[in-house]
Amino acid sequence: MRRLALALLPCLALAGTACAPVRPWERDVLARPEMAFVPDPLEAKRSDHIYFSKEGSLPGGEAGGGGCGCN
Amino acid sequence: MSARDALARRRSRRRRARRERSRRPRRSARRSAALAALTSGAFALPGLAPAASAQESFGRYSAEYAYSRYSEDPLPKSKVPTGGERDRFEVDMHQMHLGGPLLDRVDLGLDVVHEKMSGASPWYVIQGANGEPLQVMSGATIEEARTDALLEATLLFDRGQASLGGGISSENDYFAWNGSLRGERHFGEKTTTLSGGAGFSIDSIDPVDTDLFPTRPSHEQKWSTSVFGGISQVLSREAALQSTLTYQREQGYLSDPYKQVLVAGNPVPDARPDSRNQLTWLTRLRHHVSPVHGTLQADYRFYADDWQLTSHTLEVAWDQAIFDALHLIPSFRYYSQSQAEFYGPWFDATGDGLHSSDYRLSPYGAIAWKIKAETRFATGSVDWRAAFAWQRYLSSGDYALGKVSVANPGLVSFNLFSVSLTARF
Repeated sequence: MRRLALALLPCLALAGTACAPVRPWERDVLARPEMAFVPDPLEAKRSDHIYFSKEGSLPGGEAGGGGCGCN
Repeated sequence: MSARDALARRRSRRRRARRERSRRPRRSARRSAALAALTSGAFALPGLAPAASAQESFGRYSAEYAYSRYSEDPLPKSKVPTGGERDRFEVDMHQMHLGGPLLDRVDLGLDVVHEKMSGASPWYVIQGANGEPLQVMSGATIEEARTDALLEATLLFDRGQASLGGGISSENDYFAWNGSLRGERHFGEKTTTLSGGAGFSIDSIDPVDTDLFPTRPSHEQKWSTSVFGGISQVLSREAALQSTLTYQREQGYLSDPYKQVLVAGNPVPDARPDSRNQLTWLTRLRHHVSPVHGTLQADYRFYADDWQLTSHTLEVAWDQAIFDALHLIPSFRYYSQSQAEFYGPWFDATGDGLHSSDYRLSPYGAIAWKIKAETRFATGSVDWRAAFAWQRYLSSGDYALGKVSVANPGLVSFNLFSVSLTARF
């Protein structure tokens, strides 16, 4: 139990610093296009489609949409 | 008070009034600019919507076009039987997106993809004179086209948004229609966002040349349903993290009607289970480094399914801004997958009746690198973005995380060139 607590301590400390409050007026950098999780949606759809049809895995991030006759 | 003093005071009052009048609009303009920056900052937070363009363009009209040329490398002579077909697929892809406000809080978006494909594809694998695997390609050059259209309506709430979408995908031997519903809710001062959704797809395939290949099915169907849930978290003024879990279940015909596999020396149809449960965990980190005007974009994906195929994907990009008008974005991707339980280059006996020599179910790894240049500029009230990108993708048994004793000879390598233009107004 003590070992578990010791192991979790750095994680909790990291989580604490990581989630320091950021006020709405401090988000100019976060609003930049390159900070988006999908900076270029057309490019992301293209890549997902190619990897989906040429590799064995499923793209992640959302659900449904698209497809091809390429089982 | 003298008449001169009274005149001086009147002049002074007029000067003050003129100064006030000229100041007022400036203050108002400053206020609205600050408000716009604040609302756009809060609104355009990454991850508050699955697609960044939806946030950026909400309430604005947008038109985007991209052209891409996908070209697979010919197979090496050592990987095919003597004199065998080596050329592979080439694809010309056109993508278009149109979007804009339909009502006060409703945006509508339309995505259309049209692509023309030509070339040969892997058919089955045989054993060479020295026991090495050799890829037999489909004899005739395949010419086909695919059109994909997706319409989506997004409703904006005070603390979130909801989207309803539907689309079709059509090829000469294939048709699918799909739908999705997704939503998200912000918490706190939009520092945390929870998102979730569900989707479905119903696919029909009517393989061609069934008279030439009697073992090929003439009509088959597949049903897919998927659900996802995710969390986006602002970590600091310059960092944000998103993690999403997606589950998909496929049922129906999941084999490839155009592939065969060598069983006891004879080519027989590719045969896979009629259901597949898939799980994908995708985590994305964005971190801006202000002193060098660069942004780190790192994505990790873990995938597992009940065909015993697991994979790891790591993609890292660096977006370097040069005077804010030009962005150079080099990126690197690593991918490694294990094999499906019913995969083999060939089989000595029928066994349980499930068998495939499809390279996409084989164990291998892949590396890819890309360089992208993007310029951003404005003319009048229109914001433009133009981009060019080149990507190189190589796959091999040697790149896999685990040891691969016999690599599939049909593993693919390709080049991808793309250009795109976006206008927002």
